Amino acid sequence: MKQVIAIIRDERVEATKEALEAAGIRGVTFLYVTGRGQQKGKVNSQEMGESLTRHLRMQLGAVSPDNEPDAGTRVALLPFQPDTEFAFGFLPKRMLIMVLNDEDVNLIVRTIVNVNQTGRHGDGRIFICPMIGAIRVRTGEQGDKALS
Amino acid sequence: MKMIWAVIRPESAQRVIKSLDNAGIGGITRLHVTGHGKEMGITLGAVHYTEIPKEMLMIVVPDNDVAKTVMIIRTEAKTAIKNEPGEGTIGDGKIFVTYVEDSFAIRTAGKAGGT
Repeated sequence: MKQVIAIIRDERVEATKEALEAAGIRGVTFLYVTGRGQQKGKVNSQEMGESLTRHLRMQLGAVSPDNEPDAGTRVALLPFQPDTEFAFGFLPKRMLIMVLNDEDVNLIVRTIVNVNQTGRHGDGRIFICPMIGAIRVRTGEQGDKALS
Repeated sequence: MKMIWAVIRPESAQRVIKSLDNAGIGGITRLHVTGHGKEMGITLGAVHYTEIPKEMLMIVVPDNDVAKTVMIIRTEAKTAIKNEPGEGTIGDGKIFVTYVEDSFAIRTAGKAGGT
């Protein structure tokens, strides 16, 4: 049993979901994260603009369930403050966590790479970690049965 | 290769990241999480809070950088009460280290040495 942790561009999440479903993987956990790699978040201006928009949207989503703060509400959105994440080059990403049987790992890594590869910096990483157990909460099934 | 999960105070995050930067560890993933430790949260006045905001950092490094990375996080994330410098305070966080068997860079579809 292996845990696969993939960090991908957040605009590729929908395509990745479809590809994973086609590959027969149903159980995926999605996390909103920010991150950076060896480039330390240095990207070209277009990519920075896109990221900024998404970043703002994420923060707006976090402060108000309707995605729109009330008029007059002051929201701490200032990504240009020197001490914010953005100034450190942390860009919005998605983290996908899957627990798979050993024989599925290669297929899933190939699937994620195919869907997410743009050839530009920031495509993300996939990590394969050992996982020693799984339990389905509803039934108490353990091990491989909990995954199927 | 090892994966380091560090749960730290949000206000320590910038110091930790700056120091990791200076040590040449560039790849970091950040998660905003909440949680409590063995104190089961904190009581302020009449209110008991069970979920305290924390920052979780995920860093993957080669085996021989693990000690250095953990040391940097420990040094920078430790806070001190004014009168007892160097003691640390409850809630400074925890560091977990797990195995990574394999890692791939999506851009090149090749094996990667770390984030």
